[in-house]
Amino acid sequence: MPAGSSPPRRHIRVLSPLVVLLLAWSAISGLRLIDPVVLPTPWSVARAFVTMGRERVLIDVALTLARVLAAVGIAACIGIPAGLLLGYRRRWYAMVEGPLHGLRSIPASALFPLFLITIGVGESSIVALAAYPSLLVILVNTVSGAALANKRRLYQAKLFGLSGFDTITEILFYEALPNIFDGLRTAASYSMVLVIAVEMFIGLDDRGLGRAIYAYQATYRIPETYAAVMIAGTIGILLNLLVSALQDRMLRWLPDAYES
Amino acid sequence: MTRARTPSDDPDAFAVRLHKVDFSYCASRTNGPLYDGFELSIEHGSVLALMGPSGSGKSTLGKMMALIIGPTAGRVEWSPRFRNRSDVVYMDQHPMNSVFPWQTVRRNLEYPLEKLNWGEQESRARVDYLTSLFRLEPLLDALPAKISGGELQRVALARCLSWRPELVILDEPFAALDRELKSDISLALGQLAAKDGMTIVLITHSISDALAIGTRFVVVGDRPVRIISDLRFDHPAHAGQLDRDNMEDTLIACIRDGLV
Repeated sequence: MPAGSSPPRRHIRVLSPLVVLLLAWSAISGLRLIDPVVLPTPWSVARAFVTMGRERVLIDVALTLARVLAAVGIAACIGIPAGLLLGYRRRWYAMVEGPLHGLRSIPASALFPLFLITIGVGESSIVALAAYPSLLVILVNTVSGAALANKRRLYQAKLFGLSGFDTITEILFYEALPNIFDGLRTAASYSMVLVIAVEMFIGLDDRGLGRAIYAYQATYRIPETYAAVMIAGTIGILLNLLVSALQDRMLRWLPDAYES
Repeated sequence: MTRARTPSDDPDAFAVRLHKVDFSYCASRTNGPLYDGFELSIEHGSVLALMGPSGSGKSTLGKMMALIIGPTAGRVEWSPRFRNRSDVVYMDQHPMNSVFPWQTVRRNLEYPLEKLNWGEQESRARVDYLTSLFRLEPLLDALPAKISGGELQRVALARCLSWRPELVILDEPFAALDRELKSDISLALGQLAAKDGMTIVLITHSISDALAIGTRFVVVGDRPVRIISDLRFDHPAHAGQLDRDNMEDTLIACIRDGLV
């Protein structure tokens, strides 16, 4: 076994940069090189986690996470079937490809006001705003996955006289699955970004992680602001791990090298 | 109309017939057409070994027989006895292309039968039969990506033959098998062909594979492709060693001539 890959060493390799960062942070804030209003000490941030726990930050976390998952879920439920259908009927895709790419190039944040007008201020507009770019990215990834499907295996659909529905659900879906997961991963991070941003705009019941970050900053509770940002980062990492775990489970069958 | 030069050839006896077939790949135009007025008729129940140097267009010929690719001009006719698309199957050189990697080996064998509306009992009996014929018992619950190349080739072969197609075009089906297994599997294939009355086209560049089950040997070469020799070996089971040796020598000579 190569020396660098044993588990304890790997942990050291992963953790040591974090430790260095923490030490540098302590040194900089301890020596007051930077105004504590801008950069609080690690200790004060640690204390902030405790106060936030008392202020039931877990509700904010849960609410934000639920919104992100709802957005990705809705996007997947529409984007995957629609993408498979468009990947199967390539002529339809050729027709919608132009408008689709046009829509994709609009930054989702530019659409905030329009969404607020059409959907109104509420839970649904937060989720819809996050779901919208996620839907596009899942759709496009699914279509390209279906386009990359192994032609020799699709030949079997003709051989067995499969219906369009069966071809899509029994062959094309699996062929596109690696790309679908790429789409889901991107969609999860898009949704996270947008939910946090929209929560800052729309303070429903004054809860949600984005709202918390905004509120702490507005009241000059800087250590809490840092702590909330860290929580947001951690959620991002966990979401990514969730998609990876799902991917490992559902793509266990994937051959190492795809022949075509 | 030009026809294969056998006296006992009645018009309905062919499984597949190529008449004045032209074909060229776009990229190969500079070298002239691959096929130009090619003629070949294959009788029902024969095991035709199609031999020739690599790159001589054997796979292209096989794909044209299966109507996967159409000739630029000319006709490819299937026997009027073939009523379904699934009566003719082409098995790719890469066995992974002929199985569904997301299904277990067992499921891979069951799936075509299910789609072709076989009864449950009939289907189970067929799967059991193929499992023992191709020695797949220990692999049944494995995924195609987790088994060896030789094992996968057996699975692909069993799957292609599962629904008793009338005409089977096998492109290098023994490539990943070791010598010992190869003779076992080709024996099993020969048995199955005789039992089910299948017509087999075996694309190979191995003379020993061809001799193991072939009843007719067609050596192709040159460009545009022409038939260099067309030999028959009507009762391989009754042929003595001397006949085999003679045939082997003849084939070696033909292939050598084809390369010149």
